[in-house]
Amino acid sequence: MSSLPPALIFILGAIVLPFLPHRSRSAAYLLFPLFAFTVVANLDVGATLTVPVLNYDMVLLQVDRLSLAFGYVFVIITFLGGVYGFHLKDTGQQVASLLYAGSSLGVIFAGDLLTLFVFWEIMLVGSCWLIWSRRTPEAGRAGLRYFLVHFVGGLLLLAGIWLHLEGTGSLSVGPFEAGTASYLILISFALNAAVPPLHAWLPDAYPEGTATGSVFLSAFTTKVAVYALIRCFAGFEPLIWAGTIMAVYGVVFAILQNDIRRLLAYHIISQVGYMVAAIGIGTEMAINGATAHAFTHILYKALLFMGTGTVLYATGRSKLTELGGLARYMPLALALYMIGAFSISGFPLFSGFVSKSMVVYAAGLVDMQVVVLLLYLVSIATFLSIGLKLPYFTWLGPNRSPRPTAAPRGMYLGMALTAVLCIAIGVYPTLLYDILPFAVKYEPYNVAKIVETMQLLVFTGFAFWLLVHKLAGKDTVTVDTDWFYRRLPKLVNGLAYRLSIVSGCHHIWDFVQGVPSIVSLHIVLVCRHIYESYQRLPKVVYAHIVSGCHRPYERLTPFFKEFSGDIALGALFIALSLAAFLISTIA
Amino acid sequence: MRRRLLIVLIVLIPLVIIDLLWRESHGHFAWSGIPAFYALLGLIGCVVIVLISKWLGHHWLQKEHDYYEEERLDE
Repeated sequence: MSSLPPALIFILGAIVLPFLPHRSRSAAYLLFPLFAFTVVANLDVGATLTVPVLNYDMVLLQVDRLSLAFGYVFVIITFLGGVYGFHLKDTGQQVASLLYAGSSLGVIFAGDLLTLFVFWEIMLVGSCWLIWSRRTPEAGRAGLRYFLVHFVGGLLLLAGIWLHLEGTGSLSVGPFEAGTASYLILISFALNAAVPPLHAWLPDAYPEGTATGSVFLSAFTTKVAVYALIRCFAGFEPLIWAGTIMAVYGVVFAILQNDIRRLLAYHIISQVGYMVAAIGIGTEMAINGATAHAFTHILYKALLFMGTGTVLYATGRSKLTELGGLARYMPLALALYMIGAFSISGFPLFSGFVSKSMVVYAAGLVDMQVVVLLLYLVSIATFLSIGLKLPYFTWLGPNRSPRPTAAPRGMYLGMALTAVLCIAIGVYPTLLYDILPFAVKYEPYNVAKIVETMQLLVFTGFAFWLLVHKLAGKDTVTVDTDWFYRRLPKLVNGLAYRLSIVSGCHHIWDFVQGVPSIVSLHIVLVCRHIYESYQRLPKVVYAHIVSGCHRPYERLTPFFKEFSGDIALGALFIALSLAAFLISTIA
Repeated sequence: MRRRLLIVLIVLIPLVIIDLLWRESHGHFAWSGIPAFYALLGLIGCVVIVLISKWLGHHWLQKEHDYYEEERLDE
């Protein structure tokens, strides 16, 4: 039995890969998830690994059934994404994927909040790199917005962690008491889980990634946040409603999308809504449901992104208004995509059914009838958008696509393997149920439930048939909460300009123009303040190194505590300043 | 459109009747007694969601495809 952190395998891979011969990189890439899989499979519940860094003991590995369940699926999807992207000649993307997957595993297995934070930030680097790998101006701008939003989120997390340390003297990852610190941490988790109104980064950036990049993007950030929420906020009741609203929000916005990958991105928000609601419920059944749904979601959503990615690769297009009639050229892509679509829609014998129904069942057990009903509605809208509308207007429907180029075999193989897993879990749910955090007392298949589900889905099909003329894509953009940092600043500027003309007073205009520099000045001042208070930190650390004794983490904590107020306040202030800066400059 | 609606009703009505005659009410939800509830939910729920989303999009959320870009050209 090993106690090797799987995160390190991937991060090592990210370092080694660029030094290997060009042609062997795609194959070498696959070795790392294979190796990591054997390592994860050999991890024992309760295994830990502590590595002293300076005088702080980083807990790089702390294993329990929850982290193992997420660990398995992260390693599996890293492998499948590698098969799908086998044709890539872009080492940058491969390195970024390994870094992103590795840091996600790092968060999952982190045993203390600082280690969690470090990996949390590395995830941001990896994911941003994947977005920028598309190398289009749109991807560049969306990636920058993504980076800034998550940077603010990360700083809120840091502030929360330090305040938490100041308040409790503990850095363990676990359920938090209510308080400023835990709310800050909650906000940063909710931001990464894409809980509205903190979600706009997701549909903004994910569709701009490359065909392969978006497969990875759809898997990690939100699910790591789901893991963190389970770990720290299980049973926090407001999450029930946040999750339910999220689920509805996602499907409503998805209906309005023209870009097929943006449509899928909104459905990530919607599906993560199920998980967040389940976390809010917090019973063993619900936590099992959230974990199971995260597991199946990663697989079928990756399959859906692979299917649409193949279309993007073959045609260079991803808009409903520019696609149609592809079934003639890419029937296999359609067939494999549909397996993902049946899974997300919760058809019996497909993976989504055995996890989604568990979440709904858990909501029923605590008698949250409105939640149950709304989740059924979301199920309907999911099948409508992903199972009917998207494939209809992409592969069937009026023929608008040019003749596509052939997609590489690796893409199809990656999709096929993912599809096999989706069906295997649907047909034989014990595969999944055996690795859930708690013993499963749930039987997904019974006649009544299958009849209900089929009624629901078949009649959704009928509704689509009635409404199909209304559902064609429109070449529009849908404003979302990113409006506040993409459009509002310009409006304010314009208004100030007009006011200054009308009133003949230039000061208004000058003032608004000056806001970004005022904010930057603030950031500099705050950084200086923090720097000054940090100056004493090295001396303390140094003293401990010189004294030659390896101090356990509890004994170092007081020294961290001494500074934690300053650090927390500083991080918070920078976060807010950056948010203001973001609003006042980016458009 | 009218013909399609007719076909849907032809499928739905027997289902409701079968459900009324043979199914015992099970489950503890407020809607557990309604015959063919899930079929009705699928049909009506789907139409309602589409109409509400489309309405929101048309009157509020959907903008020209260059909504964000046009601003950049001004610079």
